[in-house]
Amino acid sequence: MKRATETPSILRDLRSLKVVVIHPQDQDGEELLAQLQRIGCEVQMFWPQLECLPPDTGLVLMAMRPETLGTSFPWLGTNTSPPVIPVVTYENPITIEAVLRLNAFATIPSPVRSFGLLTAIAVALTQCKVSRARERYIERLEQKQAKLRVIQQAKQIVMNARKVSEEEAYQLLRSQAMVKREQIETIASEIVKAHETLSF
Amino acid sequence: MRTTGASPTVTMTRKDSGFASGDASTPIRIGVLYSRSGVTSAAEITQLQATMLAAEEINRAGGVCGREIELVCVDPQCVPRRYASLAEQLIVEHRARVIVGCYMSSTRKAVIPIVERHNALLFYATPYEGFEYSRNVIYTGAAPNQNTLPLAGFMLSQFGSRVSMIGSDYVCPYESNRVMSDLILERGGEKVDETYLALDAPWQSYLEAAQRIRQLAPDFIFSTVVGEGIPHLYRAFAHVGLDPYRMPIASHMTSEAEIAVMGSDLAEGHITSAAYFQSVGTAANQAAVARYQERFGAAQTTNMCWEAAYFQMHLLADAIRRVGSDDPALLLRVLPGLEYDAPQGRIRIDEHNNHTYLHPLIGRVNARGQFDVISRAPARVKADPYVVSHTPPAWTAAVPAELARAGGDR
Repeated sequence: MKRATETPSILRDLRSLKVVVIHPQDQDGEELLAQLQRIGCEVQMFWPQLECLPPDTGLVLMAMRPETLGTSFPWLGTNTSPPVIPVVTYENPITIEAVLRLNAFATIPSPVRSFGLLTAIAVALTQCKVSRARERYIERLEQKQAKLRVIQQAKQIVMNARKVSEEEAYQLLRSQAMVKREQIETIASEIVKAHETLSF
Repeated sequence: MRTTGASPTVTMTRKDSGFASGDASTPIRIGVLYSRSGVTSAAEITQLQATMLAAEEINRAGGVCGREIELVCVDPQCVPRRYASLAEQLIVEHRARVIVGCYMSSTRKAVIPIVERHNALLFYATPYEGFEYSRNVIYTGAAPNQNTLPLAGFMLSQFGSRVSMIGSDYVCPYESNRVMSDLILERGGEKVDETYLALDAPWQSYLEAAQRIRQLAPDFIFSTVVGEGIPHLYRAFAHVGLDPYRMPIASHMTSEAEIAVMGSDLAEGHITSAAYFQSVGTAANQAAVARYQERFGAAQTTNMCWEAAYFQMHLLADAIRRVGSDDPALLLRVLPGLEYDAPQGRIRIDEHNNHTYLHPLIGRVNARGQFDVISRAPARVKADPYVVSHTPPAWTAAVPAELARAGGDR
């Protein structure tokens, strides 16, 4: 038995989604355009080049053809780039390699059918959001890890210089930070730098 | 509900190797996929008879392009894989290029790969949950924005937003309940119960559900039960002593076909949203109902699925006339944008989504088992099968409360 839950926000927001389609105006292109319009997205089509994305682009659909394989899109691959759904006509290794480089979460096979596009869009948008959140989380973890490492080094220096325990060394760092109204990792990093300067 | 016998224009599962070519002497074969037995057969039999009536009307008027319409009727017995195999049989063995039929979404989903593979065309005359477009399907029943949405807008503004939901356990009810749930939550209302029952659930299950609903005392019951469960639900509701005028069952699937099975005493006071009721006062409807009862018996009733099955045949005949062929590729050039004076009023096939502009109505069952219209859309409404976030149309909130509560002629 299934219970109706609240509709996912990604689906609710589809009618304000701005989609860029990099695709020739052939039958696949027309099918993509028509289905995106049925879904209710705002669509702009380009081919084969696109120097910069229109503002607020939320999703890109891109034909993986020789024309696009050889083109560089400067807006791709940054941490603010919208997700890209490749439209795949060839399954040869070169094309698949290009698809993999796009970090795609979903693909659309050619010949394009109307069915499947909505699911691909929902998966791509959701996974892109999840992946961005994970990247930010990892970034924060890395920063935290780096700070801990510096504090650890500073503690070691203080322990050796003052002949104190690890706990006492930490308390010394902490009280210095409070007196100087600085973060503990700032004090720690000054100590590590000073120590390096003296250790020649 | 009586089943149909063979008529001169109808071939009942006759296998035939002949070609349906463009020759003026050969008939145009249309495959007909409606179940004569099984859980949703009450409505499907009316769709079958509506199809036969329309085909006979077309043939009496000289056929299309001088050719007769020949129906090849098969009985899928409400089993999805039978719809698929019979659809293939109609296309491959009977050389039908166009099929009318299917009822539950599972049956349509089973047939779509077949019509797409053979580039045939399916006319689908039943309300469904939306989120679909196949270039090989013409959808003549309502999408959620044409039935669930008006019903939700009407019920939530006229009766309140403590809602109990009961449905058959398959995809269309889930989706209707999603739309309803969103609208309830937006208003700060409450979903007091949500029950799904198997398509073949026994009377006892409905009785237990009705007893629970009675305890919960919601403002109204939203039913997405289909087929044989509908009479059970309404009977259980009456059995536990609930008053439809205070706490109605609101549905977009309960039609005159199910009321004929359960009896009007059980149905009176309950509310249905549809693009057509038998009581619609257009001249086209009165004439069509009269011809139908003359052909199939004075006791026969019509309903929303009947009407879509009826007008889609005339629409199809018109399209064949325009291109001089039953080739789906040619038909699809003229069907988008095509209009027809259907019993409900003038309808139109949308240019972009193959769905139909319809005239949404809210009706309440009267003592004769017919619907009194208590609210109606001011103009026909475009089908929007991919809309996710719904806003109820203003007309559903603009009904005087006395009318909504008391029904048309009470």
